[in-house]
Amino acid sequence: MPRSPQSMPPVDVISDEPELSLDEACAACGLTREEIGAYVAEGIAEARGPVVEWRFSRLTVVRLSRARRLERDLGLNPAGALLALDLMAEIERLQRRLALFEDEG
Amino acid sequence: MQYKDYYAILGVNKDATQDDIKRAYRKLARKYHPDLNKDKSAEDKFKEVSEAHEVLGDPEKRVAYDQIGKGYQPGEEFRPPPGWDSGFEFSGGPRQASPEDMAAFSDFFESLFGGARTGRHTRAHGFHARGEDHRARIEISIEDAFTGARRAIHLQMPKVTADGHVVAEERTLNVNIPKGVRAGQHIHLKGQGAPGHGQGEAGDLYLEIAFAQHPLYHVDGRDLYLNLPVAPWEAALGGKVKAPTPGGVVDVTVPANSAQGRKLRLKGRGIPGNPPGDLYVVLQIALPPSGSDKAKRLYREMADELAFNPRASLGV
Repeated sequence: MPRSPQSMPPVDVISDEPELSLDEACAACGLTREEIGAYVAEGIAEARGPVVEWRFSRLTVVRLSRARRLERDLGLNPAGALLALDLMAEIERLQRRLALFEDEG
Repeated sequence: MQYKDYYAILGVNKDATQDDIKRAYRKLARKYHPDLNKDKSAEDKFKEVSEAHEVLGDPEKRVAYDQIGKGYQPGEEFRPPPGWDSGFEFSGGPRQASPEDMAAFSDFFESLFGGARTGRHTRAHGFHARGEDHRARIEISIEDAFTGARRAIHLQMPKVTADGHVVAEERTLNVNIPKGVRAGQHIHLKGQGAPGHGQGEAGDLYLEIAFAQHPLYHVDGRDLYLNLPVAPWEAALGGKVKAPTPGGVVDVTVPANSAQGRKLRLKGRGIPGNPPGDLYVVLQIALPPSGSDKAKRLYREMADELAFNPRASLGV
């Protein structure tokens, strides 16, 4: 049964601003501190210096949970999952570019 | 409820080894994983493949499935005999699929192995945790990004009912599309994901923005591209022509001696932002029809009067 439209939920565009601490990032994407640590070691986040100073953007959190799903479902390691995400982003960029030319024919 | 042939779904024989099953699953998962394949049909396919793997990839479940499925054909009406699982042991060991994937499994799976999930919920009694985050992809128009808009979006989310069944619940959310949003950006709706467990707070909803195909404009980041037809004399002699933009019609100055495909930049006329994108007008020279005698005469005159070889650069 479709529900009637709910009242307007607050919306924000996910920013690149590193605003979440490690624990907040864990809560937002359901990964453990160790799992996030493994991605930090592969260079996913802006995290630098001691762990208490690590900060993550919302965009990074989205990427982390995607990477984690790929890791689990495809049997990848963090480096492989990140590589897959980078390649996907590149493919999408190229497809958008391609669409510009295909329509001109 | 229909019998599902998990072996056929994974494309393996009934005597496949656990390694064969894992290989077949991984191969299909790489092809249909919703994070890698944006087709809606891919997501359904992936769920089916995950469900098959959840059963066949677990030796305990596989033995039970083989036993119960003897003599059934795919698609055939299926009813598990009462108490069928009494002779099987399920360790309830670590699952391969995530809870959110499991929630989307079929009634067939549910009727065979759903009991294990109920058990898990019982164990979780008195346990509070934040609900899972949900993700969805929505298509908006370029105009929505240009001005900002309020859109009703329809989402389907799997929901486990009190008696342990899974239903797809449709809901409609009114979402403010922020002005200046770009394809590939995510918008975040706090508290609109799965409900929390116990007194845990609800998860969040992330919507990935994509632009619907537009009859006039193409998008690249914040920049827009518009193919603008011009007459040969407009391109040759220059002049002011009208061009549509999402913000309204504007006058564009075509420089004299413009070639086919020349790009003119209208600074700041793309998708708003800081800085705003640009609108690129790409000139497409359109030929006047040569049907009338007058047009034919003018074309012939040009052919006679102009020394023009369009293939000079090809050396012919």
